[in-house]
Amino acid sequence: MPLHKKNGLNHGRNVQMFLFVLPALICFAAIKLVPAVSGIFYSMTNWNGLNPHFRFIGFENFRTLFTNDSDFWKSMAFTLKYVIAAVVLMNFVALFLAILIENLTRGKGVFRTIFYMPNMISMIIGGFMWQFIFNQVLYQLSQNPGLGFLDQPWTSNSNFAFVAILVVATWGGAGYLMVIYIAAIQGIPQTLNEAAVIDGAGSFQRFRHITIPMIRQAFTICFFVTLNNAFQVFDVVYSLTGGGPGRDTQVVAINIYEEAFARNNRFGYATAKSTILFLVILVITFFQLRLMKNREEEA
Amino acid sequence: MMYEKRKSRTGQDIALALLIVLAAYCLFPIFMALLNSFKTKPEMFTDVMAFPQKFSVENYARSFRKMKYLASFFNNLVIVAIGMGGIAFFSAMAGWAMCRTKTKLSGFLFGLFVFSMLIPFNSIMIPLYRIAGALHLTNSTVGMGVIYIGLGVGMAIFMYHGFAKSSIPLEIEEAACIDGCGMFATFFLIVMPLLGPITATICIMNILWMWNDFLLPLIMLQSPKNYTLLLSTNMLFGQYSSDWPAILSALVLAVIPVVVLYAFLQKNILQGIVNGAVKS
Repeated sequence: MPLHKKNGLNHGRNVQMFLFVLPALICFAAIKLVPAVSGIFYSMTNWNGLNPHFRFIGFENFRTLFTNDSDFWKSMAFTLKYVIAAVVLMNFVALFLAILIENLTRGKGVFRTIFYMPNMISMIIGGFMWQFIFNQVLYQLSQNPGLGFLDQPWTSNSNFAFVAILVVATWGGAGYLMVIYIAAIQGIPQTLNEAAVIDGAGSFQRFRHITIPMIRQAFTICFFVTLNNAFQVFDVVYSLTGGGPGRDTQVVAINIYEEAFARNNRFGYATAKSTILFLVILVITFFQLRLMKNREEEA
Repeated sequence: MMYEKRKSRTGQDIALALLIVLAAYCLFPIFMALLNSFKTKPEMFTDVMAFPQKFSVENYARSFRKMKYLASFFNNLVIVAIGMGGIAFFSAMAGWAMCRTKTKLSGFLFGLFVFSMLIPFNSIMIPLYRIAGALHLTNSTVGMGVIYIGLGVGMAIFMYHGFAKSSIPLEIEEAACIDGCGMFATFFLIVMPLLGPITATICIMNILWMWNDFLLPLIMLQSPKNYTLLLSTNMLFGQYSSDWPAILSALVLAVIPVVVLYAFLQKNILQGIVNGAVKS
């Protein structure tokens, strides 16, 4: 009897709770859940976006993908190269800025505001602005004596284009991470540093043995954010190089976009690619979080 | 003690000098865009660093017209207003209800929302394109807003859930319950007014995301009358080819709304970013 009553109570509460969740759930199911699940199905079809009739072709798309699509794997390799470089560079720059700013006695707010500013601007706009810098401003500056090195094929040579993409991505992304690092540094109890000074620790020692261990959580967050964003990078490459020269700076997101919407209309095949991308991101973020959470706990 | 003080002051001077250089570097592209957007093409080609001979607003007038600035701006507003309203309202209801109801069902649903945060947009974008088409959400600003609701509720629910758990005292709700408030009355009269701080954070994160998003509108909005500011700018960039002063005027125009927003809400935005990052 009490069990029955309890179930009845639960049932009533569930119904009410469900009514509250329903509006969000409907939108979520239609926009995210169904596409995510049906994506697995579409990746096994020859759907081309236009023809309403398409066939189930099993793992054919994946077979083609693994055996006969060097462009995709080239873009995957480039994306990995970009991810590693961007994650390291952005976090390094952001932490560097955060430490410099936290060292100041006055003007912290001004610098924080300035360095965060590019983050407000879409990387589409940012990429176009930098195209102007690379192709016009640097060229004109290079005419001055001693500045000749600035005249480089910034967006038309694959190595320079890679550097250019990193420069712009760091310009746009470091401010966000910097704000997180600053907040973490401010959260360190002042007494720790005071005690270390009394014990005779220099500023580098304090940085190494107090600051770094105390902001482990911020590292985890920032690496998670940058890893995820870098794997899906689209805007900055689209606006700065368009994936060129040729396909040398094409990232996976652009490769998928092109496959589906811009060039081939092979929607089923493009979905297979996006499934691979999802798996890669999932595995890598899983290991990143596990590794860094363990570190956090050890500290 | 004296020594320590002096040493830290030189350290400070070096830090300050470095920061000034880096800040100049950071603002350089924006400054150059602004400077050259007032020039004529020959003027820009002669000297890109010089001040414009006269501040001509002709580029701006042309770009303003060509990118249908007001219409594009309005499209952005519609998308963000619908998306933001839906995300905040639906997520607050769902997050709070799941937090307060401890059943298997609520646990399962909450887990579903949280797990979905891990799904990258790229991997659902193509099936989404098809489903949005079937639901008549493509090529419409209202439809875009609805799509953003679906994409945004996961994280917002997670944040509301956490906030309800940690920062809304259960006693108030229990008192309301004793006074005869049902779940609906409790939520709308008691809980909702208390959700202000977390709602501010969620709004800041989501408005910036939706306003600056490019790939989703690029796929979903086909006719230029529905273009957002970014899509219009992108289109204009193609049309102007190498007329840099004209392009730069369009870029400056596209940036103005976010810079104005930043100027007014700078403290809130930076705080919101930190809160959002730490909570999620």
